Amino acid sequence: MSHAVEPNLSGMASGAEATRAWLQRYALHLSLLVMIVLSAAISPSFLSGGNVSNMLLQAAPLGMVVIGQVFVILVRGLDLSVASVMATAAVVATSFSGQDGDAPVIFALALAIGLGTGLVNGLLVAKRNVSPFLATLATMIVLQGMRSAWTQGAPSGNVPPVFRILGSGAIYGVPYNLIITAVLAVIFSVLLAKSTFGRKVYITGGNPVTARLLGIPADGVTILCYVISGVLAALAGLILSGFVGIVDNWVGRGFEIDSIVAAVMGGVALSGGRGTIAGGLVGAAILIVVFNAVLQLGLPIQMQIIIKGVVIVIAAAFYMRRKAG
Amino acid sequence: MLTLSNVSKSFPGVKALSGMQLDVRAGEIHALVGENGAGKSTLTKIIAGVYQPDEGQIEFDGEIAHWATPGAAKAAGIHVIYQEFVLFPHMTVAENIFIGHERRGAFGLVDHRQTRKDAVELLHRLGVDIDPDRRVVELSVADQQMVEIAKAMVHKVKLLILDEPTAVISGKEVELLFQRLQALRADGVGIIYISHRLEEIFEICDRVTVLKDGQFVASHPTAEVDRDRLVSLMVGRDMQELFPPKADPATIGAVVLEARGVVAAGRVRGASISLRAGEVTALAGMVGSGRTELALAIFGGLEMTEGEVVIGGQTFRKMTPAKAIAQGIGLLTEDRKGQGLAMLLDVASNITAADLDAVSRWGLVDRRQEDAIARAEITAYQIACRGPQNPVVTMSGGNQQKVLVSRWARTCRKVLILDEPTRGVDVGAKAEIYRIMREMAAKGIAVLMISSELPEVIGMADRVVVMREGMIGGELSGDQISEERIMQVATQKIAA
Repeated sequence: MSHAVEPNLSGMASGAEATRAWLQRYALHLSLLVMIVLSAAISPSFLSGGNVSNMLLQAAPLGMVVIGQVFVILVRGLDLSVASVMATAAVVATSFSGQDGDAPVIFALALAIGLGTGLVNGLLVAKRNVSPFLATLATMIVLQGMRSAWTQGAPSGNVPPVFRILGSGAIYGVPYNLIITAVLAVIFSVLLAKSTFGRKVYITGGNPVTARLLGIPADGVTILCYVISGVLAALAGLILSGFVGIVDNWVGRGFEIDSIVAAVMGGVALSGGRGTIAGGLVGAAILIVVFNAVLQLGLPIQMQIIIKGVVIVIAAAFYMRRKAG
Repeated sequence: MLTLSNVSKSFPGVKALSGMQLDVRAGEIHALVGENGAGKSTLTKIIAGVYQPDEGQIEFDGEIAHWATPGAAKAAGIHVIYQEFVLFPHMTVAENIFIGHERRGAFGLVDHRQTRKDAVELLHRLGVDIDPDRRVVELSVADQQMVEIAKAMVHKVKLLILDEPTAVISGKEVELLFQRLQALRADGVGIIYISHRLEEIFEICDRVTVLKDGQFVASHPTAEVDRDRLVSLMVGRDMQELFPPKADPATIGAVVLEARGVVAAGRVRGASISLRAGEVTALAGMVGSGRTELALAIFGGLEMTEGEVVIGGQTFRKMTPAKAIAQGIGLLTEDRKGQGLAMLLDVASNITAADLDAVSRWGLVDRRQEDAIARAEITAYQIACRGPQNPVVTMSGGNQQKVLVSRWARTCRKVLILDEPTRGVDVGAKAEIYRIMREMAAKGIAVLMISSELPEVIGMADRVVVMREGMIGGELSGDQISEERIMQVATQKIAA
């Protein structure tokens, strides 16, 4: 054996390097912590009960969308249609009598919209080799148009009370929507980390050619990832409609960018094959804290957008350096 | 002209070069040889300014050189042509030649007429007939290589480094390349020529420097050494010791797999091959003769437009990797990183990737069982890593290859196809892979090895099938197997 070129693996665990590795691994969690501490120090009301539950209520739908987005990004894609799916699901929620009796129909219809959109996205990307950007942009626009046609431009009607409860209610101070998101996060994390499907997602995203030569149905795996994203977005739309209470054509606006940013900040590689749901959710938490801090500090809302941009740049620079190192 | 003394370079955990010396004169072609992982590419990158040496000194043109960037080395007159060309496929030949050094006209805008004119002149000086207006993507690989050389000539190149230039071209194109290199040598350019093909080195190089394990071994005029001497310098031991004994003809069994009249990807034009249990068959032939494509078609990785594969009493006109794996076929691909490994995943996941069902229940992967399997394989194949959770991306080429061999050795029950299994691995891992191939054959598996290295073909194969222009050119077995015979069959028609 040529020892000169064999990596000296035992020598890697030196103290300084171990510390650095630890810092790199938990940089995200640390920055979340730092941001919370800073925000609390600057604005005393930041950690007030009302504000915290407000943040959690906001975090839930975003988290739900992020879970789906993580699946899509893992297979080298991205899903721009999520916000449009959310708004469409929300519009559906108000298109009936506003009574709880309609909830099952609304539920089924919204999920069907999410599933259908995901299916179209996935088929376009996997079978027709359309770039994910274009495919999901197209479905986003088509959904927008269909929505406007359906509502004649101005949605009216009420969200059934059960969605209002799910969207903004709480038990022992824990919002229902957060519980739903947490349960989904656990289920999908297990799916991703422990199941054969999850393994196939990582292999397909890491290298589609390898996946194909391993007999993995790479196209099917990719399509399923888009379907997951679509369905979760639809669910998030229903929850958000319950949170907001009123519905316009733009419920969930900005969620496509926010969910992608959260995933990327959370260490999900846009090049595919690397990242976790937990990472994406921490990314989402950071975004929510940042947005909230801006409001708490009484800064103009436009600052949110500027700060969002800055956060993306910092996150991107951080991961680029880590890649190079 | 270029003198390196006592140059060392380490990467975290790896000493890539130590106490290296090299001396290249103006107007000579200097061969750099060594096994994969010997340090050739690190050395090249140091000369090219990509890496800075930790120790030692580089003298170029009588001055001590410290190139902080590739640009600095380039400005000094050093140009490297890597195996993967640095060309912009959708730009024209002329634009590529002057990339970064565009001819400027009024207002600093690119002067396309001047660019084209200068390109024509350069190509003419090189003595090649390439249309400067064609887009590079439309050129043959050999012509693209000429464009790379033309790029070097835009600056007054003093030292030209070529990394495996003949790996991608063949026959007549090689001759043409050699003529160009000789012309450059006559102009006083120093050339470092990196190649595995020893015949070429004796044909064109003036001197040869041998590297092994990151260290300088010897430097000789090519006239003073012969092939065997060079090999033993590179390997550090006699080549013959690497190969286990061949199969006793009596132990070779029935035909396990038969491919008939396979046509695929425009590269395979009606090839038939049968593989027998217990036999190591080598698929030889020139690069581009369709060997890899035939293997992929048998495995289902490439669509067969005609032909069929017979295995396990079933005839497949349309093969898929899933079916092939189910039938007990394994394919170790040529491109380890691009087609074989899941680079971001760990050792355990890579080993079980071809038979996930075997380590899962109710759709969930049993990580403990998977780890146990991985641990056993790591011991069996002496894979150097920290354990089952070691990401393969951090491992050396040889150990990555062993991970792949172990994956397919576990899953294949009838046929194991290995495409260039020892490319880019060190000698120790090579010997190990040869041993495993023999072991698999002894278990009654039909082994098909694709290889461009003739010593390996001769050392391993019980039977050699030679491909030529997408068809089977001939078959050799037993005492018939020799370099001359193989080359003869491989090139017959091309020469005619």
